[in-house]
Amino acid sequence: MRIVICGVGALGSTAVQYCRNLEAELRLVDFDRVESKNLAAQWFVKQSLGKNKAEAVRLQLANFYGAKAEAMGVRLAATNAAQLLADCGLAVDCFDNADSRLAVAAAAATAGVPLVHAALAADGTFGLVRWDERFVPDREDTAGQATCEGGEHLPMIGLVGATLARAIQDFVRGGDRHDYMISLSGVSRTA
Amino acid sequence: MAILNITYQGLSADYELELDFAASDEDIRRIAVEVVRSGGVRGLHVAQLPVNAFDQFVIDRLRAADGAQRIYLRPKVPFGA
Repeated sequence: MRIVICGVGALGSTAVQYCRNLEAELRLVDFDRVESKNLAAQWFVKQSLGKNKAEAVRLQLANFYGAKAEAMGVRLAATNAAQLLADCGLAVDCFDNADSRLAVAAAAATAGVPLVHAALAADGTFGLVRWDERFVPDREDTAGQATCEGGEHLPMIGLVGATLARAIQDFVRGGDRHDYMISLSGVSRTA
Repeated sequence: MAILNITYQGLSADYELELDFAASDEDIRRIAVEVVRSGGVRGLHVAQLPVNAFDQFVIDRLRAADGAQRIYLRPKVPFGA
């Protein structure tokens, strides 16, 4: 199975670490570049600074674990979404805005590709892993709202990323589509 | 009867809510403030909870695998990457 990971920032890069031993091919999509501020909350190392994020994750998987992945250093949009999701058996949304989440959801629905979303609250106290049939993207309270760049929420990012990886693993192994809710109280399966 | 799950400042707890599943969002937010203030939600007691604490929160109405009706009152989750 080929899995496309849309967005490899905080949640995406973290989840990819825990997907490295899946019997699946990973396709990584992200147009952004690694900045020094990303090192505090995303799975990047100093040697990746300045690189495209998808390419940086691909290189880290190869160099640290000998795991192969495909990097697509582009912004997912209506014009290229079908191409990016082509031949994929699963799509994973880790984007950081509602418009991009809607774009990947529309593309996945058109292509008939199952889609799971992962999302994090601004204050780092809560997260969701939810399949597309039960997911509605939330918008920021204010444009440009502070996110997770300072590293303060790294443990919660790790928890949500690992939970997402578990949901992906369950799907790859048996086709299960479990939803999870993650808070400081723990991880609860909600569907 | 629906089960109301409330998440606030990283804590999450269930409250058995004898309320119609289709109750309005406004009603759910108002009730949540009352029960959290009163200590009616085990593990989530905030006596001085502001009356507008849940104004920006999202309400999800989902049916669990066992058929139970569940209402989730939770913070927004806009971020990922």
